[in-house]
Amino acid sequence: MRHQRQLTRHTATVAATLACLLLAACSAGSTADGNADSPDKTSDTLKIGLTAEPANLDFTKTAGAAIPQALLYNVYQNLVKLDQSGKMQPELATSWTLSKDRKTYTFQLVKDAEFSNGAPFTAEDAKFSIERVKSDWTISLKSQMDVVDTVQAVSPTELKVTLKEPSNDWLYRMTTRLGAMFSRTGVGKLATEPVGTGPYTVKKWNRGDSITLARRDDYWGREPHFASVTLKYFKDPTAMNNALLTGTINMIGQMQSPDALDQFKSNSKYKVVEGSTNGEVVLSLNNGSGPMRNPKVRQAVRYAIDHKALVDTCWAGYGKPIGSMVAPTDPWYQDLTNEYPYDRSKARQLLEESGEAGRTLRLRIPTLPYATACGTVVKSQLEQAGFKVKLDQLEFPAAWLSTVFKNADYDMSIIGHVEPRDIQAVFGDKTYYTRYDNPQFRALLKKADRGTQEEQTTYMREAARLLSRDAAADWLFLLPNLMVADKGITGLPVNSVSESLDLTGLSRS
Amino acid sequence: MSALDTETAVKSAVPAGRRRRRPMTGGLLVGGLIVSVVLGMALLSFVWTPHAPTLVNPSARLETPSLEYWFGTDKFGRDVFSQILMGSRTTLFVGFVAVGVAALVGVPLGIVAGMGSRWLGELLMRGNDLLLAFPALLLAIMFAAVYGASTLVAMVAIGIASIPNFARLIRGGTLQVMKTEYVIAARAAGRGPFAIGLRHVLPNVSSLVIVQASVGFAIAVLAEAALSFLGFGTPPPTPSWGRMLQESQEMLSSAPRLAVFPGIAIAVAVLGFNLLGDGLRDRFDPKLEDRR
Amino acid sequence: MIVRLMQRIAILLASLVVSSVMVFAFMAVLPGDPARVALGTSASDTAVAQLREEFGLDRPLVVQYFNWVQGLLTFDPGNSYISQAPIGPQIADRLLVTLWLVVTGMVLACILAIPMGTLMAVRHRRPSGLILSALSQVGVAVPAFLAGILLITVFAVGLGWLPANGWTPPAEDPVLFLKQLVLPALSLGMVQAAMLTRYVRSAVLDVLREDYLRTARAKGLRPTQALLRHGLRNAAVPVVTVLGLHLATLLVGAVVIERVFVIPGLGSLLLDSVSNRDLIMVQDVVMIIAMAVLLVNFLVDVAYLVIDPRLRVGGAS
Repeated sequence: MRHQRQLTRHTATVAATLACLLLAACSAGSTADGNADSPDKTSDTLKIGLTAEPANLDFTKTAGAAIPQALLYNVYQNLVKLDQSGKMQPELATSWTLSKDRKTYTFQLVKDAEFSNGAPFTAEDAKFSIERVKSDWTISLKSQMDVVDTVQAVSPTELKVTLKEPSNDWLYRMTTRLGAMFSRTGVGKLATEPVGTGPYTVKKWNRGDSITLARRDDYWGREPHFASVTLKYFKDPTAMNNALLTGTINMIGQMQSPDALDQFKSNSKYKVVEGSTNGEVVLSLNNGSGPMRNPKVRQAVRYAIDHKALVDTCWAGYGKPIGSMVAPTDPWYQDLTNEYPYDRSKARQLLEESGEAGRTLRLRIPTLPYATACGTVVKSQLEQAGFKVKLDQLEFPAAWLSTVFKNADYDMSIIGHVEPRDIQAVFGDKTYYTRYDNPQFRALLKKADRGTQEEQTTYMREAARLLSRDAAADWLFLLPNLMVADKGITGLPVNSVSESLDLTGLSRS
Repeated sequence: MSALDTETAVKSAVPAGRRRRRPMTGGLLVGGLIVSVVLGMALLSFVWTPHAPTLVNPSARLETPSLEYWFGTDKFGRDVFSQILMGSRTTLFVGFVAVGVAALVGVPLGIVAGMGSRWLGELLMRGNDLLLAFPALLLAIMFAAVYGASTLVAMVAIGIASIPNFARLIRGGTLQVMKTEYVIAARAAGRGPFAIGLRHVLPNVSSLVIVQASVGFAIAVLAEAALSFLGFGTPPPTPSWGRMLQESQEMLSSAPRLAVFPGIAIAVAVLGFNLLGDGLRDRFDPKLEDRR
Repeated sequence: MIVRLMQRIAILLASLVVSSVMVFAFMAVLPGDPARVALGTSASDTAVAQLREEFGLDRPLVVQYFNWVQGLLTFDPGNSYISQAPIGPQIADRLLVTLWLVVTGMVLACILAIPMGTLMAVRHRRPSGLILSALSQVGVAVPAFLAGILLITVFAVGLGWLPANGWTPPAEDPVLFLKQLVLPALSLGMVQAAMLTRYVRSAVLDVLREDYLRTARAKGLRPTQALLRHGLRNAAVPVVTVLGLHLATLLVGAVVIERVFVIPGLGSLLLDSVSNRDLIMVQDVVMIIAMAVLLVNFLVDVAYLVIDPRLRVGGAS
């Protein structure tokens, strides 16, 4: 009995201690500095909600869109960058010229740029960064720099890059992560401590929660408005909406639940931006093996999908049907949605003719909001056209990457290809998971890359049409750029066409 | 988790043979009724649903409840009532697999631990306790990581995590049965342990199994809901109450009914299984008689 | 007594060893080469081989196991394959967050459950007791995450009293910390409370029928007085046990709540690591949770030894 009493007393003590701790935590509150949200230009802060948190900060070794989204143009800078209308703008290069044979680019560089580790930015760093892609990077995109022959630092402010053959695409790629400029003395800890010339540095990373970027005092260019920007990551779209509604964040960088958009549109406290992106939501088909090798089955799939109904149900009507792998902001965009207009009976007929009607198709989708939503609709639509579909959900990223992307163990999948101008990357390589192998298509891309601007447009259009005709995949829709922000936030990009979430233009009125 | 449940149940449920019949309690009645309704819904869904539950219908998005769509439709234009009906199937499937796995392993384990030597019993129970270090949700997430998310995988994991509950309870029951006169008599008559286990112990602990199965059902339904919510449970488009709830979240402000129906379905089903379990336990338990 | 205690400690150690082997073996089964996953799908074979060597993945499993255990014992589990950041501090940070959540949830649960359970027992034949009983039954049947969603909808989005989600360390902004803690702790605590009330009720009912309480009443104490003075302390013993056992399940139950409220705790670390196939991280988090559960069970065992002399002699028999 005595023991029992003692124990109870102990419990009481523990509970009391806990209560004290709570109270102490409560009363200690007054010491925190009252960082009021006065619109003081030098100390204004911003919190942005995003979906995919980077696994680390090294995009030279880790694939995916999350790292460049946070770091490019903000922490790292390129020689040239893309503005929101997709036009090329100077950044660390003030100007550039192209030689007559279209193989040599000469860049004039800014004089006073400095890395956040104090080292000055020179042509030697640019040379180092470009050459490093070939020697140290491991991500697949690095092959887009294979065309580089020699890089030469003529003077500290002049850089000469000679290509093996003319390439329109190369300069464009210099606006992506591939063109990010690194310091020769700052690549030791890329995964945790990135060093760039940009206006922000990574100040704090609460893993699993947020990354805080702080404005540099010694930035060489025009200082951005916000002294600190916190990128807060939400797995769950609803949680992100709620965070904006209750003031935990000021802005949603990527709306992942368009059905919830109405509550912001109808509320005068918020502004909603609707624009275009590079994100083609693709119903990828395995061109290399299984029933999808048969062109008739692929065509049947394309006829069976009612894109209007699909966008209406799974993405609340936001999102543009595109018909091929070209984003509307690219110069050679053309409307190819009529190549395979929705026709259920034709789909049925083609499926019968193909002789594969009895086969069950595996639709293996990643656990991402748009894929889950569209997967449900695609399955239903295909089944109504006589297909047999089994839907598997694979956890994203790891399970989906290894099963579908790496091993191409699938018949159909749904994924948003968000990299800019990715028609070549996704369909130009027969070992890529789409397993699309068409020499004619590759020849067109090559011609486009080598030719003049006009030729580029012509051949790219031809390639996109060929791809669509071949039914190499079905393009469900183009992901819209849906942003929601507090009314006072200005400078929101209408279109998201670069790899970066460019923070430098954001401001508060 | 159910150490106390176990104790009270063990003290009482044995021997089952000499129990006198007592009137049904309210809880038992309500619980039984709810469970029958869920069962009925699942059976009904095999022969009839008002609409095809997975048919996407863009022209009928987000309809409010009507004669056509009793519970309205979701953002895909799918009939919510039909999905609830089909979802009851998932729910029962979940329960059967989880409880099946747990009982199939846990009951023999408990009986062997109760009938064997003290040393063996102690060893088995320690191993049993070790399983407790891997709670159901943890095990299910680990399993989903290895074998991919599916209802079956999740349920086997939950079943495995529930083995200790069964084993512990049944061992307690077995120990009591082993002390009864007829077992002592049977042993004296030279019957082998296998025969005793099968002929005397198993029938006498069966009431415990039923009680624990009912509680296990409730736990499994809750776990499935949580896993589906996390994306590790039933993959779409198979209707599942847990996933319906998860899908409804984004439209909670504009269409709260989408959360209300599956939410109520889960809560009521769990309530039913719990009440049934409690009711059965009370019925088998003379000690609790004066409490009601 | 000492012998018994030593026995319990030996069992704890053995359990830890066995469970570590189980966790390690299970993780070794995971499909996908962790080095390849870490480097992305397009990495060259040489790069993968290099990383395998760097992390010792090319060594025999037995060696890997001992390296891992050594890392755990020296509190230096090394770096994650994916984030390349040290694992130890990450787990410690996340564990602290989860502990705040779980302990606060538990305290709230006790605050709700003990008076309610007692009331239910005292009035178990009256309508008020029955209503409370029914309420607790309903509470048990509501999934914690549903409670969370409802709380957010009402108190954060609807009334705007509290933030809908997020987490701030108490040292950074204590007021915000508490505000953000309320809803998740409450959703965890309410469901837990519903379960606890039932244990409290049955424990108090048991006590009510004990002789010493009748004696106390015979001495002229009113039932409530008698209960408060003598009963509650005795009823507390089984309740404390249940509390201990539930603390372990709560650790895992917090996973869902952390997802709903976007809290960077151990649960979200586990989920993120699973989806990134951060193998070593998953392994460590699972082991930490298992260790916590085993430790709590051990403490409950020891507490029993201290409390109940009868238990010093034998097990369940």
